[in-house]
Order: sequence, then C-alpha cells, then structure tokens
Amino acid sequence: MIKAHKLLAEIKKHGITHVVGVPDNGTQALFGRLWNDPGIEVIVTSREGEAFALASGLYLGGKRPLVVIQNTGFLEAGDAFRGTAYNMGIPLVMLIGYRGYRSLEPDAERVDTAATFFEPTLAAWNIPCFQLRSDDDLDRVSAAFERAAGTSSPAAVILVEESS
Amino acid sequence: MLDKYKCLEKLAAMRRDEVVITTMSVAAPWAKLSDGPLDFASVESAMGHAADFGYGLAMAQPQRRVIVLNGDGSMLMCLGTLVTIAQRPLENFTLVITENGTYEVTGNQPVPGAGIADYEAIARGAGIERVCTIDNDHDFDENLSSHFEAKGPLVFIWKIARATEPVPRPALPIRTRASRLRQALAGND
Repeated sequence: MIKAHKLLAEIKKHGITHVVGVPDNGTQALFGRLWNDPGIEVIVTSREGEAFALASGLYLGGKRPLVVIQNTGFLEAGDAFRGTAYNMGIPLVMLIGYRGYRSLEPDAERVDTAATFFEPTLAAWNIPCFQLRSDDDLDRVSAAFERAAGTSSPAAVILVEESS
Repeated sequence: MLDKYKCLEKLAAMRRDEVVITTMSVAAPWAKLSDGPLDFASVESAMGHAADFGYGLAMAQPQRRVIVLNGDGSMLMCLGTLVTIAQRPLENFTLVITENGTYEVTGNQPVPGAGIADYEAIARGAGIERVCTIDNDHDFDENLSSHFEAKGPLVFIWKIARATEPVPRPALPIRTRASRLRQALAGND
C-alpha cells in the first residue's frame, strides 16, 4: 500500500494546480484526499482520452496539471495521448493505476489482459516509467517530474500498489 | 443552410484577442483569415479532442475567451466532453459544432446519425444551458456577437452546406504551434 497523504505531499512539491482523470480502486484514497485539498482542483472527465486533451490545454494556458487514470483508461486513450500531450511536447506527468498486476504472478488463477498489454505498450511508446510499490519509492514521483521537464515529454508514475 | 466560408469571415472580422481552435474542414479556411499565435489548428492532433483541449485552455485562462470550431464528426468522437463541460461551467468558453453531416476532408462520407442526431438536444441533455442552432444568415448575424460576449459555456450548432475541403496541412508542426500558443498566453492566466 502507498499512503495517500504521502503521495499527495509528493505531488504538491511540484506545484500541481489541477488533477484531471478518472478514479479507480487504486487511486480511490488519493482522490479522497484531493477532493478535500483546496490547493488543487480535481476535474473528473467522462473518458481518459479527454484527460490528456484537457490537461494539455491547461498546461499551454499556464497551469500545472497531473493526469490520474487506470491502465485500462490509458490503453483506451492512446490516440488522445499521442495527439495532444506527446505531439505537443508537454512535460505532463501521469499517475496510472496498475489493474491486474497481481494476475501476472506465476500462480495467478487467470491473467488480466489489462496488465498483459500495459507495460509492453508503455515500452513500445518509449514512455519513461517510475513504479511505486511502497512508500519507500515515493521519491520516484519527483524523478518522473524531472524527467518530463528535462525532455519536454510526458512521463508515467505507475501505482503498482493501491493508495490507502 | 449556412455558407461556412461566409460565417468564418464574419467571425474573423469581429474577433479580437480570443483563442480560436479549429478542426478538419474549418482549419484551412480559418488559417487563410487568421494564422497567428492565438489560432490553433487541432490538426496532427488527436481526432475528436479539440473541444476538451480548448476547454482546458479556457479553464487556465479565465480572462480570455476560447472559441472552438469543431465539426460534427469530431464532436461525435468525444460526446462525453459535453458532460465534462457542463459539470464545471466556464463563462469564457464557446463551442461551435459545424454540422454538415459528413466527414468532409476524407470525401464527405456520412457521419453516424447524419440528419438524425440533434446536437442541440444532446448538448442540453448533457447539462449545458445556453445552446443555439443556427441555419440561416439572419440568425447568424443576430447571434454573432454572442459568440464572443455571452456568458458561457455556450454551444452553437451551425448548420452548414457541404463543401470539399481537402485534409488541412498547417504550415508549422503541432509542437511549434503549441509552444507558440503557450508563449502568447504566458502571464495572462
């Protein structure tokens, strides 16, 4: 488990003004804290592709957005990600919940294909990834922001364990 | 039916410092009228994501009007955006849906629901209060200033005649146009 209050503190270090996305079980606790944080506006979108377009507009308008979605939504949002944040060269950090991660373990009853396709897709698109498995990994959030800023391209923080 | 070229000329004549986002069959005609830093063709971009992109810009720039000129085919690709827009109303946001019933730049194939879908009803049903369908010059002229001045979010449906625009080819790559827009807006949020 990742402590949501610690994760939020890491996010706030980077001056985030808006969180844009669609909640899932893994980010449930984080969203709970975000909605009670007066310093960050939360925009829930109808679909994950919207989150990339909306966040790209926010960034070009001078704000500091963070996209928070599940890996299923990332797969659905492929063209929106490519055509907005990626093509526009936006240093956007996306926090992505990893549905199905445990189904990849050798003794899992059945595989969740959301997990099967997720990391290979990120690799194919050459998206830098920073995995969070415990609170000890939280400094990787800053590493993702630094990578995005340094390359003027998106970077992903993968929430392997749920926030609590 | 409206002639989109005349509509764009009238819009450009009244336009001051608003951001104007264009898509597909409107992008090239608009670029002939205006192609500065505040004009952004959502081309080489993500299909169907001009409205949500422009909405993000409007949220970041509450003092500046953002006008999105979206096609009906483009709008259909992301109808949920109308709900997203309604849940967090922005006074400075104007969305135009140019309805010709076709994917013009790929040969005027019909869009789903051409002649059946009621975009005014869809927008109202999504929760947007100020929605107006325009299908003649008189009503267009009467409503032109509202595109710039009325309290948003606004949705106008322009019923336009079919034309034969080719696929738009902006002079600059999208990354350059995005950077140029960000620079033009810097310090105004």
